[in-house]
This record gives sequence, structure tokens and C-alpha cells, in this order.
Amino acid sequence: MKIYRCYPAAIIQAALLTLSAHGQDTTTDGYVTRKEYDELKAELLAMKKELDALKKEGAGAPKRENSESHAVVSTSPKQEVPETQVVGDSGKAVAPALGRTVSDSLGSLLGTTKFLLAGWAEGMFEARNGQVSTFSASFNPIFLWELTPKLLFDSRLEIEPSGGGTNVNLVNAQLSYLLNDYMALGVGEFFSPSNVFVERFEPQWINKLPDRPIGVYHGILPNISVGAQVRGGFPIGPTRANYAFYVSNGPVLNTFDARSAGTLDFNSYTDNNDNKAVGGRVGFLPIPGVEVGYGFETSKPGFQGTTFSDLQALVQSVDLQITRDSDLLRGRINLFAQYAWSHVDHAVYDPDGSLGFGPLAFTSKQDGGYAELAYRPTKVDIDFIRNLELIFRWDHLSRDPSGLGDPWETRWTLGLNYWLSPSTVVKAAYEWDKPNGEPNRNALFIQTAMGF
Amino acid sequence: MITIKNRSYVAALGLLFVSTTWNLFGDPKADGKAVTNSGSTGSSDSYMGLTGEQLWSNNCSRCHNIQPPARYSEAQWDVIVHHMRLRANITGQEQRAIVEFLKSAR
Repeated sequence: MKIYRCYPAAIIQAALLTLSAHGQDTTTDGYVTRKEYDELKAELLAMKKELDALKKEGAGAPKRENSESHAVVSTSPKQEVPETQVVGDSGKAVAPALGRTVSDSLGSLLGTTKFLLAGWAEGMFEARNGQVSTFSASFNPIFLWELTPKLLFDSRLEIEPSGGGTNVNLVNAQLSYLLNDYMALGVGEFFSPSNVFVERFEPQWINKLPDRPIGVYHGILPNISVGAQVRGGFPIGPTRANYAFYVSNGPVLNTFDARSAGTLDFNSYTDNNDNKAVGGRVGFLPIPGVEVGYGFETSKPGFQGTTFSDLQALVQSVDLQITRDSDLLRGRINLFAQYAWSHVDHAVYDPDGSLGFGPLAFTSKQDGGYAELAYRPTKVDIDFIRNLELIFRWDHLSRDPSGLGDPWETRWTLGLNYWLSPSTVVKAAYEWDKPNGEPNRNALFIQTAMGF
Repeated sequence: MITIKNRSYVAALGLLFVSTTWNLFGDPKADGKAVTNSGSTGSSDSYMGLTGEQLWSNNCSRCHNIQPPARYSEAQWDVIVHHMRLRANITGQEQRAIVEFLKSAR
């Protein structure tokens, strides 16, 4: 029956592809003549009648509830040009309507009804004081798969040239099950919910500046967690709240050198003990466009069987996210901010001095974060101005757990973007970067990024 | 290094600033009480008093530029919004209202 029901769709798709090609051949300036428009309309109405007749023949077939049949079969009626567009007094509506029809037809033919390849690509030039200037590039495909209406899979790869070869990195891979309208379960390698930047803004066509903020990106907070999570959102009266809680392998405590002793390494995705990290984030949206959140992760990061195995680590963060359209400022304002701080219990590192820097006893504390303000004059009439966006960011990281130095770093970045499309941007930015006790590391960036 | 006490002050001041300046800078039509400039009539479905179009605008634009409904096919929107529901922590009802709007506006 499935094959039988596909025949009408196939016939209509083929006919409309032919019609579309015909329409393109006979136009001279992108529009059709009145005569051509009337002919197309007549042919479409005839096909509509034919489709209705075929539908009646197939009416005895049972309706399928799953998204696969819905996605494939439901596209058939959409092959018709909507009446509201056909009845207009100009033939201008026909061309875009047929364009969408072709897009729909190809989408169905290519099997994109359940699987979608998304992602982004970027290219960047960076000139940083004290370093060799360099170009870089990356391709970041995202695989979205809807296995059933309740079972989803998503995964992202990061592919970039490095040295004499190409690095391919699995960024995340997660299987999710939707329990109900307010709760979903996820298992796999996922973006850490407490790290709002990584979860929401990391893709370079979304991130408004060419580089990422220290402090939260590979800083105080975990980027990726391997484990299981439960998450969702729900209304509270006129407001909304959301949550995400997870269990994961957790970080590893650095103990082997003076500079990093007492810090947490979140890049080790395999566990070093039987204790699991527990973390999460709760968010609250008092009004549309404003969200405040609190995140945490508690863990025992020391290697099992060592003197560090009972140490407790706690990472916390607060975040704020504001998006506002303003008539007064004739544009859109975005304010993103997150601040995180961590604490690891008191411990003695290199107790016998065998590593050359101990014994060193301290309670490890770190903090860092960022605040980013962006303005885009979306309500200005001039296209060129409307596509510009001005960004300012402050970011900071203080990772001096041992007290041996004072290696804090604060950066100020000013950026100007030009949006070629809603997901294609050219960015230019200058960053004032002066790590404490070191020469400045000011940098110039030029980057282009495209989301797809 | 900023102390926890100071962090609390900064957070409180930030929230106070936001709440007091909200109406000054805000567009009263942008909170979901008016039609956006897409020209579409939007979805008939609603959630918490917001139409699918308003939910689409409010939720998607919090993180990135909103994509035109015509950019993706209906089936593609199904997959995209389904996954974005997880990322943005929106409810199933919001997801369905947004998808219905996107399909109607294509």
C-alpha cells in the first residue's frame, strides 16, 4: 500500500519538475507572461483534479501515524501551487511557488524527510602579537536524524586541516528520547548544559565574534560531557522555566605540574574513578527574550586509589541572556553573559617533592566568564546598514589555584560583522589581550562563516 | 578575583538594570502581542497566548538570526525543530505550534 500511495506523489513531482523547467525556459526576465501564467494555472488545476481522483482511489488505505509516512506523503498536496498565490493579479507569484515546489520535490526524492545534514563552515585569518599570523578553516557537519517522532539522534564532527593532515574530531553524539511534552532523556556525548555558550552559541555562524570567550570555553566549565541527561521546559503561569540534569564521567584533577595543579581537566572523556559527576542547569524566563540561569557540577576528580580520590570539586555558574527589539534604538540588542567559579577541596600536591614543585598545599579556586553586547540596526531602511552588527565583549579567566603566580587574563574585543544572509557572516574584530606578567597578545581577526 | 558576595551584588544590579530599562528600550510589539514583519497570518495554534509565529520569533532569535520559513522543506522543518526543542528546552506544545507556523508560512 505504501508503494501504491507513492505513485500520485511521484507523478505530480515529475510533472511539476517539467512544468518548472518549462516556466524557466519561457521567461525572459524572471517573470512569466499572462498567457503562460494562464496555461500553467490550467495545467495545475487539471493535475489537481487528477490528484483528487487518485486520492479517492487510495482512500481505503489506513492512515499511518508515524512521521515517516507523514513526511513523505504529506508533501504531495504541497506540490500544488497554493491558491492564494495563484489567484493574485500578477504572474510574479508563480516563479517562487514553483521554486519551492522543486525544493520540496528534491527534498523528498533525496530522503531528507527523516535525516538532515546541517552544520557550518568557516575560514579565518588571525594575526596575534608574538605569534605567526595564520589562516585556518574548518567544516563542521551536524547529522540530525529523527528515527521516530520520539527518538532522535544528533552528532557533530569537526574537520580541520592541521600540520600535514586533517583532524577529524567527534564533538558530540547523543541519542534522545522524548518522554512527554516536558521531559526528554539523552544518552551519549553531549554539550554540557551548564555551559550556555557551548550549548547555544558555539557554531561560528551564531557566535558573533571570531574567537570564543576564555573562562567558559575550555576554561572553568565543562564543554562536553559523556553520560546521560534529562531535560525539558515547562510553563509557570505566564513565565517559563527549563532544566537539564546529568550524570557524567566528570573531570580529571591535574596534579603533575605546578602551573596546572589543582585545576580540572574537562577534556578527558574517559573516567578515572567510579564516582560520577552530577550537574545541571535551571533557567527561568520571566518575560520573552530574557533568561537567567544557574548551573553546577559536583564531582570527585582525583584518580582512584590516590590521595586525591576523596577530594570534592564544585563548579558553579550564573548566566544571563537578553534579546530585545528596540524601536528607540531602531534595532536588535543581544546581551549574553556567564560567570563561573570552581572550588576543589584542600590538598597537598607533590607531597614528597618528587615532581619538583612540592609539597604544595592549597585549596584550588578559579573563576572566569564573559559579557557580550551586540547591536544590529535591523529597523533601519538602508540594506547595507541593516546588515551590519557591532559587538563588544569582555572576557576573563583567573586560574591561579596554586598561588605560585598570578596568571589571570582579561580581554576586550570589539567586532564588526556584515551579514550576507541570515546564516552567512563576515566578521572583523580586534582583541586587546594582556595576560598578567606577559607581553600583550593583541589580535586581529577576519573570519567568514556560513551555516547550512 | 571577584568574591561570591561581589558576584551577588553584580547579579542583582544587572537584573535591576534590565528590569528598569526594559520598557525604555523595548518594542511593545516584539513581546509576542503583535504580528511580526513576515507578512504571514501565522499559525492558528497557540501556546500560553502566543501564536506559533511569536513562539518561533521569541525562541529562535534568542540565540541566532531566524531562518526564513521557505529555506527548508516541511520535512526538514520537522527534523530541525524537533532537535531544536531539545537544545532550546522548549515544550512539545511550543514545538508543534512553531512547526505548524513554519509550514503554513512557506
